[in-house]
Formats: sequence, C-alpha cells, structure tokens
Amino acid sequence: MTKRKYITSGGLAFSEQKDMEKLRRYSLKGWHVKKFKFMGYTLEKGESTDYIYSIDYRSLNKGEDDDYYDFFSSAGWTNVTSEGDIHLFRAHPGTKPIYTDRDTTVSKYENSSRFMNKLAIPLIIMTVLMWLGTVLTSGISHTVFLTIALILTVLAIPTTWTVIATYNNKWKVEEKKGRVNFTRAVPYLLLIIATTTLALGGDKGLIISVLSSTIIGAVAFPTAIWLIMSLYHKVRQN
Amino acid sequence: MGKTEQLTDTMFYIMAALTKPRHGYAIMSLIEKTTEGVVTIGPASMYTIIKKLLKQEWIYLHDSSGARRKVYQLTDKGRRVLEEDFKVRKRLIQLAEKGLKGEEV
Repeated sequence: MTKRKYITSGGLAFSEQKDMEKLRRYSLKGWHVKKFKFMGYTLEKGESTDYIYSIDYRSLNKGEDDDYYDFFSSAGWTNVTSEGDIHLFRAHPGTKPIYTDRDTTVSKYENSSRFMNKLAIPLIIMTVLMWLGTVLTSGISHTVFLTIALILTVLAIPTTWTVIATYNNKWKVEEKKGRVNFTRAVPYLLLIIATTTLALGGDKGLIISVLSSTIIGAVAFPTAIWLIMSLYHKVRQN
Repeated sequence: MGKTEQLTDTMFYIMAALTKPRHGYAIMSLIEKTTEGVVTIGPASMYTIIKKLLKQEWIYLHDSSGARRKVYQLTDKGRRVLEEDFKVRKRLIQLAEKGLKGEEV
C-alpha cells in the first residue's frame, strides 16, 4: 500500500514559483507529487530525492502529446502529470530550465491566461448587466436579478483576480514595472472604494451581500473552475 | 513579422540549425555543441518556437514516416528570412571584430 497525502496549492496564477519550491522540499523528504488534485497536489511516499519542478501551459491537439513530451525528456525533464493545458515536469538539479529566453517565457503566461480570459470577459459583462437589472427593477424581478447578480459576482470577482494575476506574471517577465505596481495596488484601491462607499452611507445590506459573496467566491470559485476545467478537458479528449 | 523586424536570438539559432533536416533533440545538441555549452535552449522555448516557425511557414515538417521523432527543415521562405537576418548579424560581428583588433571602423 503506497502512502499518499494531499497538500494545497497557492494557486498557480498566484504562486507558481512557491508551489514548485514546495514540491522540491517535499521530494527531499521522500514525498513526490503524483497528480494535480483539487486546489493542490497528491503526493506519494518514496525515497528521498532532490527533484526540481517546472510548469508549462500549453494546449495540445490530439497526437501532439508524444512529440511535446519528447522535447522535454530529451532535455532531462520528465512529465509527472498533466491536466488540461497544465503540464508538470521534474528533473534533477542542474538541468537547464525549460524556458531559456524572454520572448517564449512571455508566451508561456499568455497561454496560461487564455482560458481564463475567455471566461472572464463574458462573466464580467453578465455581472454588470444583472446589477443594472437589480437597480432598474422592483418586486419579484428585482429579487431574481439580485440573486443572479450575487451568484455571478461570486464567480466574477475571483476570476478577474486570477486574470489580473496571470497578466501580472507576464508583465513581470516583460519588465513592465509600472503595470506590476499598479496591479499590486488594486486590492488596496478596492478596499478604499468599499470603505468609502460604506462610510458615505450606501445601502448597507447590499454592500454586506457583495462582501460576503466575495468571501464565498473565494471558496466556491476554485471549485467551479476545477469542475469546468475537468469537464472541458474530458469533452476535448472524447 | 515585418521585414525590418529582427529574429530573436533563439529563433536565429534554431533556424540556423534547420538548413538540414533535424529533429528537436538534434537541434538542441547541435546548438550546444557549436557554442561549447554557452547557449542552451530549454525544451519549452524550443517547442514554442518550432510551433511558431511552422505557423509562419518558415519551416516544414519533413517527411519522416516511420521515424519516432518529428523532423523539421527550413522552407524557401524561411531560408530568405534567415539570410536577411544573417546579413545584419554579420555586419555587427565584423564591426566588433574590427573594433577588437584595433582596426579603423
């Protein structure tokens, strides 16, 4: 019986590097990553080995997998596991990195945000429309609009957050410092806006619902994304 | 890509290796060997560029039915692009060479 355990991920968009370092530390203790698992990784107990880890994002067509993995294995990188467009590789320390120039590293983060971008834009538009509906109507339709608006907000806020994070990763590579600093300031800006609205005596009930939906969103959203991603992947496989 | 736009170094190296049909690993090791290990190209960078060059039609998938690995080679278009880029790079190399030798530039 192999001993298994589960560890959490900081979210690849937010802490890819930290996650990779964490996996290396676990490998040193004999716990090697086997699979992506909901919001984390499954590890299996084995012999202590010093492995380094790297992530690549790439959408592969049918039949391209072998060729793709072959590029990596000839350079010393073994594919540990892949889920959807996310591929995890490991190698012995001293192996040359999987990305060796800036242009292709930038395209890595473009690949990572492609799926989220597709999801985020319609979601944000829908959310705004539903809130408009809430403001413009009354009675039953108001309640209906409000319910849908809240549910969408739950999804839209963390999606937007993740998209910003992936862009941030890209800009860091491109050395666009101004934009990186700007996105760093976004959470504080939002906090200031929220507090100001509260202080100005806005509809307190509404603000509380938005805030609580944000908190719920932090939990519900990864679940939803994970479901959508695995469904999307299953559909494409068939 | 416009006519005046330069190839990135990695693109140039890969295209330089593809004047003859070669598979991915052969390209990587040829570049490493030629530069005595100074230049290496990571597999993810390599794959990204191969895909891009195929899309631009600067390289094509060489008929290699039966071979385990995919083999690529420059197209005529790719050859012209490489040649243009080579001319610019050569001028710069000559500039550096003369300068280092203390000749008039």
